[in-house]
Amino acid sequence: MISFLRLFIAFSLRHAARHRGRTIAVVCGIALGAAVFTSVRLAVHASIASFTRSMDFFAGNADRVLVQPGGVLPEETLARFYTHPAVRDYTVLSTTYARKADAAAPPFLLIGIDPLLDRTFREWRLRGREAEAVEGWLDLLREPYTVLLSLPLARELGLAPGARLALEHTRRTADFRVAGLLEPSGLALVEGGRVGIVDIATFQELTGLYGKIDRIDLKFRRGVSAAEIEELARSLPQDLALHPPSAARESGVTMIRAYQLNLSVLSFASLFVGMFLVYSLVALNVAARRKELAILRALGAAPRTLFALFLSEGVLLGTLGWLAAIPLGAVLVRHLLEAVSRTISTLFVRVRVEDLELSAAEIAVSFAVTVVTSLLAAWQPAGEAMRVPPREAMDMVAPEERRRRSARFAALLALGCLAACGALLPLPPAGGVPLAGYLAVLLLFLGFALLSPFLLEHLASGLDGLLARLAGPPARLAGRAVRQGAVRTAVSVGALITAVALFTALVIMVHSFRRTVETWVRQTVSGELFVTAKLGQVNRFRFPIPEDIVEGLRRLDAAFDLVESRRWFLERGHFPYEFEAMGMETFFRHGDFLWLQGDPAAIRPRAARGEGVLVSEVFAARTGLRPGDRFEARIEGSLVDLPILGVVRDYRTDGGIVFYSHAHFRERFHDPRWSGVRFFFREPPADPEAELSRLRRAILERWGDRLDLVGGRELREAVLRIFDETFAVTTVLLLIALAVAALGIATTLTVLVLERSRQLNTILAVGGSPRQIRSMIFWEAAFLVVTGEGAGLACGVLLSGMLIEVINRQSFGWTFLYTVDWPSLGLSLPLIFGAALGAALPAVRAAFRQPPAALLRQR
Amino acid sequence: MSFAEPCPGAIVCARNLTRLFRLGAGTVTGLDGVDLDIDPGAFVVLKGPSGSGKSTLLSLLAGLDTASSGELTVAGERLTGRRPADLTRFRREVVGMVFQSFNLLPTLNVLENVCLPALLAGRDEGAARRKAEELLERLGLAGRARHPADRLSGGEMQRVAIARAVINGPALVLADEPTGNLDSKNGEAVIELLARLNREDGVTVLLATHSDLADGVASRTLRIRDGRLIAPPCGA
Repeated sequence: MISFLRLFIAFSLRHAARHRGRTIAVVCGIALGAAVFTSVRLAVHASIASFTRSMDFFAGNADRVLVQPGGVLPEETLARFYTHPAVRDYTVLSTTYARKADAAAPPFLLIGIDPLLDRTFREWRLRGREAEAVEGWLDLLREPYTVLLSLPLARELGLAPGARLALEHTRRTADFRVAGLLEPSGLALVEGGRVGIVDIATFQELTGLYGKIDRIDLKFRRGVSAAEIEELARSLPQDLALHPPSAARESGVTMIRAYQLNLSVLSFASLFVGMFLVYSLVALNVAARRKELAILRALGAAPRTLFALFLSEGVLLGTLGWLAAIPLGAVLVRHLLEAVSRTISTLFVRVRVEDLELSAAEIAVSFAVTVVTSLLAAWQPAGEAMRVPPREAMDMVAPEERRRRSARFAALLALGCLAACGALLPLPPAGGVPLAGYLAVLLLFLGFALLSPFLLEHLASGLDGLLARLAGPPARLAGRAVRQGAVRTAVSVGALITAVALFTALVIMVHSFRRTVETWVRQTVSGELFVTAKLGQVNRFRFPIPEDIVEGLRRLDAAFDLVESRRWFLERGHFPYEFEAMGMETFFRHGDFLWLQGDPAAIRPRAARGEGVLVSEVFAARTGLRPGDRFEARIEGSLVDLPILGVVRDYRTDGGIVFYSHAHFRERFHDPRWSGVRFFFREPPADPEAELSRLRRAILERWGDRLDLVGGRELREAVLRIFDETFAVTTVLLLIALAVAALGIATTLTVLVLERSRQLNTILAVGGSPRQIRSMIFWEAAFLVVTGEGAGLACGVLLSGMLIEVINRQSFGWTFLYTVDWPSLGLSLPLIFGAALGAALPAVRAAFRQPPAALLRQR
Repeated sequence: MSFAEPCPGAIVCARNLTRLFRLGAGTVTGLDGVDLDIDPGAFVVLKGPSGSGKSTLLSLLAGLDTASSGELTVAGERLTGRRPADLTRFRREVVGMVFQSFNLLPTLNVLENVCLPALLAGRDEGAARRKAEELLERLGLAGRARHPADRLSGGEMQRVAIARAVINGPALVLADEPTGNLDSKNGEAVIELLARLNREDGVTVLLATHSDLADGVASRTLRIRDGRLIAPPCGA
């Protein structure tokens, strides 16, 4: 071991130190990749940790939680458990979002509990001396409209115990007294510590949910069997569900994990491109040091020692890269944290990340992935080193690369990879994760990387005559050099192919996605003004608009058509989705869905007549339900059982959506009431802005304190802004992958030029000018970049189809209309070409580092 | 004529030519005040042990390196203080070089290797090819014109290198240990070839070598040691 370490220091470390320029370039490439990978993982982990912590504090130590999916429980349900033999303790809990009236502060979570019953379920303690704490707790019990605030929230609102707080909610604004402050533990840490606790009776008065509660938490007596719990569940009304307390957490985490996996795969791309750099450097070291390797073998080194030496080089590069990634990652993760948590809150579950949590497991994963990636990259060249015969030590001629692998063989392997990629695509996802799809993407990259020697050889020979005529001897010499070194340069070209393919595919995917979302927003999110109950969005539309306001809105203005809606958030198994009852007939007069399955002309009147539901693409993909199948759900006690008429595109959330006629819901089931309404101009007015302002003013004057208003244009712009913010992370990851690829081209060209310095000086000696030699190196770079970019473009187009039709469909359940963003590609590809060509500059400088006269001294 | 005075009509005229190399904190003397004249059409052999300064002198004569001090004129062109572009033109038109390790470009075939200096000089490709084929014919390599350069024997490679050195019709051919990597039979053949070019085409040849193979054909032999010439600089 010690002797190997000595050999490693003498043979590998000293060589790396002597060629520190190229070593640093590769370490930088790995560092960029590792920094991106680590920071993305840490940012998503922080969101997951914050979400699970909230959910765990919330769940407390209950054994089961009783809820009514899509609705609230009647308080009388609690009476079932007073004397139930299996139940030891029970309590109630309701939550909502409220905010300080007339304050710009965002809403916070208000929890309604029974202060007596809850003590055995959840931890929450008041600050101050014991007597003060007891007094605060008693106040909560005996005095209506008292609230306990978490410390951070009290600080944020500038409130102390005894202070008054005007609290705004959907129905009304009420005056509260701050009875005490909570110690930062347990329930007080939910939602990043922005939380208030009130007595359940006060909660019901504030929200209008008289006699209603969100859930009942149960604790069973010691020794209660699963059969008894099962029996208890069966005895409950059909519209109630008895869940383990972790169900909501698991469902949320499952959704975030899918997002984490997608982002991790994308961030791994930079590391994957970095892998080409390690391969390239170790392979070049092996090729350039064959003579030394032969000498080591001749002196008694075992083949496995040489193998271990180069493998250790890979590990060293990976480790140094990972260490160098730490400061870079620390900066990156701060920026990513906000973007990632915002995306998770928009698409999946509400998270509020206060602090970055350094997860030892995530750091270990990042280290292991970086080092293993580098080790795998070094494997093949290390194997090559192992096969150097000792007799080469006796050769007089300078070591050349003797084993010239066949480009044709690599091309055959490439075809094999591409065929396997095609075979994997139709396979279904494993546990909701498109594993076969990811493997297919990897094989696509490998296939194109393996094709690159063949492409380089054929491009160089195909253009030989033409370039010689157009650009003279430098272009011809460059073409020949590229042909000769096609197998070795292919590694860097492979890295460029990967980066350009990712870039192209994501440009196409994001553009297709955006164009589809734009169309969806224009058609489906149509309307001039959207009105919802106060705090409707944050409270997931649980609190309908009061009836008197609904009546007032109906009669408000004859110039407008109204499309009323009611939304419920439901679950089918662990899959969360929304059910929206909407004024379908009026909606079809002004807007439309983006239809995917079914004949729109035939379905529209049927949907308006309430003959069935329309389901979103995501819902259909996740549940496997198709037009003709039946949709079943229990909503606020009604069993909704309707045929599915068609499938439409919808991008509102990652969950699915089911649409049904509002009027027919009321007829067939119960009054769904209104959680929102949108206004359309009945006829196009002469001055739309003035008409809209008039409507807005009329609503604000009458119900401004009870309703939230947002203009149609503002809403549509906000949707697109959120979309752009979501994909901003993707753009950063892409640019880093491209930078790593450019680094690869720079390293390869420099090393190739250094290796060929004798040839370049010979050209100088037989009459070549420095300018001709520079031009030759630039032509070589141009060959590499054109091949990398051309093949990358082709690979990217294929990849974009795979991302849209396989990865996205399997990960998120949605697809989009395929459109290529030619202007962006047309602008960015020449930029990439220029940047990659710029990577030839270090090589040009390296060409003249050795004086030409040294040629005569080299024997 | 004294050592330090110029030799009228000489193709090579060096006066007090010195080349110092920096090595770490110190300097190493490659050439130390060399005075040298070579007449046109001469076949000069430069002998000396390893590290004596043979290659340094050839580098200066080839315009690949510049002197630290002194004066150097080759074929009427003063080489000291010239711009890189002038030195490139000088290498294209005035000198041809032959190396010990051949230095053929492995990516080009034999014919392309020979044509290369002509093409780099911007000459017509057709004319360059015809001239290269003619040279290969003369050197007995006509059948090898399309072969990859790195598949030839050592003797053949050196003959290709000689053809490459003379394709632009240089006044001076500088050969640095051209037989060093060859067996004696091939070495003799290469010397004979250079002698033929000297005789038939009037090309001046300066051949740096360890061996005695060229003694019989040399019109003049110079010896160099520790960067100093130890034989009279003038005379054919």
